[in-house]
Amino acid sequence: MRESLLAAENVTVTYGSGSSAVQALDSVSLTFDVGRLTLVMGPSGSGKTTLLSVLGCLLTPDSGALFIQDRPVTDLSENERGEIRKQFIGYVFQAFRLFRSLTALENILVALEISGCRGRQAREVAREVLAAVGMADKWLLKPNELSGGEKQRVAIARAIVNDPPIILADEPTASLDSSSGVQIAEMLLKLAEDEKRLVLVVSHDSRWLPFCHRTIEMRDGRIV
Amino acid sequence: MRLAWRNLSYDRLRFAVTVAGVAFAVFLMVFQGSLLAGFVRVSSSVIDATDADLWITARGVPCFDFPAPLPSRFRELSMNVTGVNSVERIAAGITSWQKPSGVWQTIIIVGADPGVGSAFPLPYLNGKTDLVFPETVLVDRSNLDALGLTTMPADVEIGRRRARVAGTVSGFGSFIGSPYIFTGYNDAVRYLDFGPEETTFLLVRVAPGSNVHVVQQHLQARLPEADIWTRAEFARRARLYWVIKTGAGGALLTAALLGSVVGAVIVSQTIYATTMEGLEEFATLKAMGASRWYIRRVVLTQALVSSVIGCAIGLAVTFPSVKVVQGSIPWVYTPWWLPAGMILVSLLMCSLASTVSIRKAIRVEPGRVFRA
Repeated sequence: MRESLLAAENVTVTYGSGSSAVQALDSVSLTFDVGRLTLVMGPSGSGKTTLLSVLGCLLTPDSGALFIQDRPVTDLSENERGEIRKQFIGYVFQAFRLFRSLTALENILVALEISGCRGRQAREVAREVLAAVGMADKWLLKPNELSGGEKQRVAIARAIVNDPPIILADEPTASLDSSSGVQIAEMLLKLAEDEKRLVLVVSHDSRWLPFCHRTIEMRDGRIV
Repeated sequence: MRLAWRNLSYDRLRFAVTVAGVAFAVFLMVFQGSLLAGFVRVSSSVIDATDADLWITARGVPCFDFPAPLPSRFRELSMNVTGVNSVERIAAGITSWQKPSGVWQTIIIVGADPGVGSAFPLPYLNGKTDLVFPETVLVDRSNLDALGLTTMPADVEIGRRRARVAGTVSGFGSFIGSPYIFTGYNDAVRYLDFGPEETTFLLVRVAPGSNVHVVQQHLQARLPEADIWTRAEFARRARLYWVIKTGAGGALLTAALLGSVVGAVIVSQTIYATTMEGLEEFATLKAMGASRWYIRRVVLTQALVSSVIGCAIGLAVTFPSVKVVQGSIPWVYTPWWLPAGMILVSLLMCSLASTVSIRKAIRVEPGRVFRA
């Protein structure tokens, strides 16, 4: 089971305690491979985002284990988990989460700076990755000067600039019009197929179905 | 630290509010500190102007401004104590001054023998420091209005006796509403109607090679009905009296302490609020794998830049304000160490406040980035 890039074994997450306890994930076991775009679907409250948080090393499960390249990461310290996130995972958020005071280029540079890449080389890498997502001519614009689709392109560029093998995207097209949404979906599919990354998209939007290799349906914290 | 600098310049209103908060805090601390420092300095200014080693006062005299009669024979007794080189006299007391307009003003006459100290203001004859012009007085420049003086020299009446105002001095403005008037010892005795056996202070110079504290003990043994202080002790006693034991000093001390506390709270609160506003971005940084040290540097850079600029603006406003206030409160004084100290306090408070907010920032749950 653990011969994949990313794997979860019997992961359980409970929010709250006593009579108000809510089981967000109930013994979920999954494996994910590179080169595939996996879509996690389900209604609100089904546990999609909690699953994404656990898989992204952002949330420690109450029980169960998470493996990245066969390495158990559940019991690592926060610093070690930060290193894992930096090295293996790129995130794309529904609300983009770009740094509002920075230009598109500088947003990419921050991700590089966190990984220890600075100076002229960092700028060149950032310009290249912006060009790859079709934002070469808008690198000096700040988030409030970009459209929703453009912001998401910059967010994707930031997610892939350190070349992580795993891309986790939470409702990446929910804030976009349908045309921009299709472009973002094609871009993420390309990252999976052409660049052999593991791309995991959480969405309740069925328009994603034509772009994914695998669909996981969730309900009440379980895989259906 | 591109992110820290850009954050500051991006949200200019927030930055302006932060800087204004720090600037106001620095202004408050330095201004209140200047009032207290000036008050402390002026409360012992006459004592500090002498260069005597020891002061002999009547028992229990708390400061220069409230003297009590001292038998003048103590001078001769002191002269016979081993290690005493010379003993000079100061006569001080409250009397009345008639302005040219006829209005009366309460004053403190300070008359001293030549030789109490070259910095002591006396109407010396032809610039020599061993002879004093008779019936001549000096006034502090800041008291000219209070004394009704518009031209110099001016003839006035002190204690119903003639006196001529020959000039002005500075740095001896009184803070109790009764200006100091400086003159020779004999004239002060006349203005104060002292008897021949009466004086108020005796100033002792110790012979070269003698130990001041040993001579002090000898004098105390010889004059048990008097208090013997070193100059520094008497100056400190005067400052403590005015600052601690009087309502005016207590109010200033309280205001200065409150100013410092309020200033520190303003700085802390402003920096804390600024950091909290960026909590979502810190969560994003953390999700991206930023180390605690990286986030610390962002928060600390923002705090220190705001603090340094706030300090600079605060001081730029404080110095002219102190100058303006000196027009009505001449003894207000900003020692060099006060702004430096307040800058340090502000930077320290900014660092402490950012330390508290850093804890929030680095403990922020990275999973919150998935909440839209």
